[in-house]
Amino acid sequence: MTTINNSAHFLIKDNPAPLAILDTELKLLNHSDEWLNEHHASTDLIDGQSFFDVFPEFPKELITVVENCLKGKSDNNSGRKFILPQGKICWYRWKINPWYDDYGNVQGLIVLLENVTEEKIEEELLLKAKKVARIGGWEVDLISSKVYWTAITREIHEVDSDYIPNLEEGISFYKEGEDRDKITFLVNEAMRNGKSWDTELRIITDKGNEVWVRAKGEAEIINGKCVRLFGTFQDIDNTKKTDLKYREVSQRLAIATSAAGVGIWEYNIPENSLIWDENMYLLYGIKKKDFKGVYEAWEKAVHPDDKSRCQKEIEMAISGEKEFDTEFRVVWPNQDIHFIKAKSIVLRDSKENPLKMIGINWDITSIREAEEKLKRLLKTTTDQNEGLSNFAHIVSHNLRSHSANLSMLSGYLLKSEESDDFAGSNEEKRDVTRMLGEASESLNETILHLNEVVQIRSDISEKIKLVSLSDAIDRVLKNIGKLLKENNANCQIKVNKKHMVLAVPAYLDSILLNLFTNSLKYSHPDRNPEISISASKRKNLIIVKFRDNGLGIDLSRYGKKLFGMYKTFHRHKDAKGIGLFITKNQIDAMGGRIGVESIVGEGTEFLLYFKT
Amino acid sequence: MKALKNTCIIDDDPLFVFGMKILIKQLGNFGDLMICENGEEAIECLSELIDTKKDLPNVIFLDINMPIMDGWEFLEGFQKIPFEARKNVAIYIVSSSIDSRDLERTKKIDLVNGYILKPITPEDLSSVLEEVA
Repeated sequence: MTTINNSAHFLIKDNPAPLAILDTELKLLNHSDEWLNEHHASTDLIDGQSFFDVFPEFPKELITVVENCLKGKSDNNSGRKFILPQGKICWYRWKINPWYDDYGNVQGLIVLLENVTEEKIEEELLLKAKKVARIGGWEVDLISSKVYWTAITREIHEVDSDYIPNLEEGISFYKEGEDRDKITFLVNEAMRNGKSWDTELRIITDKGNEVWVRAKGEAEIINGKCVRLFGTFQDIDNTKKTDLKYREVSQRLAIATSAAGVGIWEYNIPENSLIWDENMYLLYGIKKKDFKGVYEAWEKAVHPDDKSRCQKEIEMAISGEKEFDTEFRVVWPNQDIHFIKAKSIVLRDSKENPLKMIGINWDITSIREAEEKLKRLLKTTTDQNEGLSNFAHIVSHNLRSHSANLSMLSGYLLKSEESDDFAGSNEEKRDVTRMLGEASESLNETILHLNEVVQIRSDISEKIKLVSLSDAIDRVLKNIGKLLKENNANCQIKVNKKHMVLAVPAYLDSILLNLFTNSLKYSHPDRNPEISISASKRKNLIIVKFRDNGLGIDLSRYGKKLFGMYKTFHRHKDAKGIGLFITKNQIDAMGGRIGVESIVGEGTEFLLYFKT
Repeated sequence: MKALKNTCIIDDDPLFVFGMKILIKQLGNFGDLMICENGEEAIECLSELIDTKKDLPNVIFLDINMPIMDGWEFLEGFQKIPFEARKNVAIYIVSSSIDSRDLERTKKIDLVNGYILKPITPEDLSSVLEEVA
């Protein structure tokens, strides 16, 4: 066995490298402490033991390498990967030199062996990451004018692996125009001021493909002179194109929504925060800067009558009871009312907890206004139709009945002239002649009534004006004072002197007169007539209550006919069925309305609605 | 041609009633005449006939447009009379109305035998007699 003297022993022991001395049988003669450290071996085990026995985990290939060196060859490796039988990966770096005796015979090996697994794995990961992220490096040495590109940089440029560019060529890969101008500017800036850059630009590869890259660079300046430029180069084509596509889509959406006047909002439920896009503010006619937060803006703008309903609908949408699909009004700062249509969906997590509400608003004022106009037109048409239908009824029953009578009576007279068999008595003939007169008179009267009604309806707008309700009542009371007294009637008038109504004065008088005379005509035989008039204002209407304690009308039977022509409901000699018909026509013509409540035997209450 | 026992006219127009009376007198065969001014009066008269166990009229000439209770309401009331009592009563509506809605409504009521448009003629009355008697 070969021995090593003591001083040599210590030189080896304290060597900072993982060093071992082997003999020709590959038994350990000596080793550094670092060796033990590096290979996690324990001190007692290794004295005089075989190299292989000490590290049974040593890869077989490495043993072969060691054995080969015994033939007098050195072996160096800066890092080699070994896969151990269990699949474990380890990396070793080594330097192995044989040592000789004085005669030049190999006496053993000096082995410097490092386990570099960790750093190698890290390096490998980095390399892979660079490859995956497609990040390449580059460097320009401005003194030697040499340019260095890493493999990935070359790959991104789609050039051959031996391609070596100069600075100008490197820049010429950037797309002509704004991209190339920009990189030129940035590089110049860096060279002059040492400013680094980080930008996204397009290059045209050697194969002619346009690729988005992220170029980062820095300048090294020594004594005010730029000596080196270096940086990274990343292929971001996919993400950039996706991003651009997304931007294009969202820009298109923004153009579309703004052109359509659609506002988008998003309500974060757990955070209780609301976001509006620009269109929302336009829809509400307000400026973003005038409000602390979006919710305050909404609360301020929405019509007070619609607010609590909307809040409730939002709660219902969040709880999942009902989808949010509603309409509400907003009041613009200039007091204009706008109708807003709102729809939204609620986004939930996997446990159905509400996360977000995303919704849209748009202005439907013009639709609403058109609808209102349509409704008004429809009402006019309906009214006119009703008028025509009433007219058909009047013609059928009122005009035709007289003409039928006339024709029947004259027919009788003619027949009795023609044949003696048919002739009635002289008395009969006289009766018939008298009745002919009555029939033609009735016809005349009906025509006059109809004419009156037509007159009511025409040229109304010129005659209509604001008149005092209480003055009109006073006037009528004065006219029929005598009649009221004769009937022992008592009148209670509670009408504010300030109540003004839109009316044709003559119609208003005629309406009141008709109601008074009706109350007297159909008073209850058992009691004196009590008539009370009161008035109240509601929004833009004056509502007049005209109440009596008379006979009353059975509305379940006569309600529909009450205001019809020649409809009578009481056995009264003066009942003609024209008064309420005219009254209704007059009120309708003035844009008002008439209604009635009654209990048979107790009295009647007419409700008159006047515009004001 | 068989004669009827009695005939009822329900109309509020005295001129029409007068004319009918003359026509019926000339034609004969309509039996006794009963005149009612409106539907309510007619229902009252018919009820009295039933109460006193007398026969109802063979024919009723019914106007539509009348105060208090019109022709349509009369028909509703008439329907409530027990079928046995009213099964032999023929009802003719006699109206001045040329309103198609009135004609349509008449067609839907089984109780009504016919619709005669005023002015009524001797020919109208003759065909009623033929149908009923």
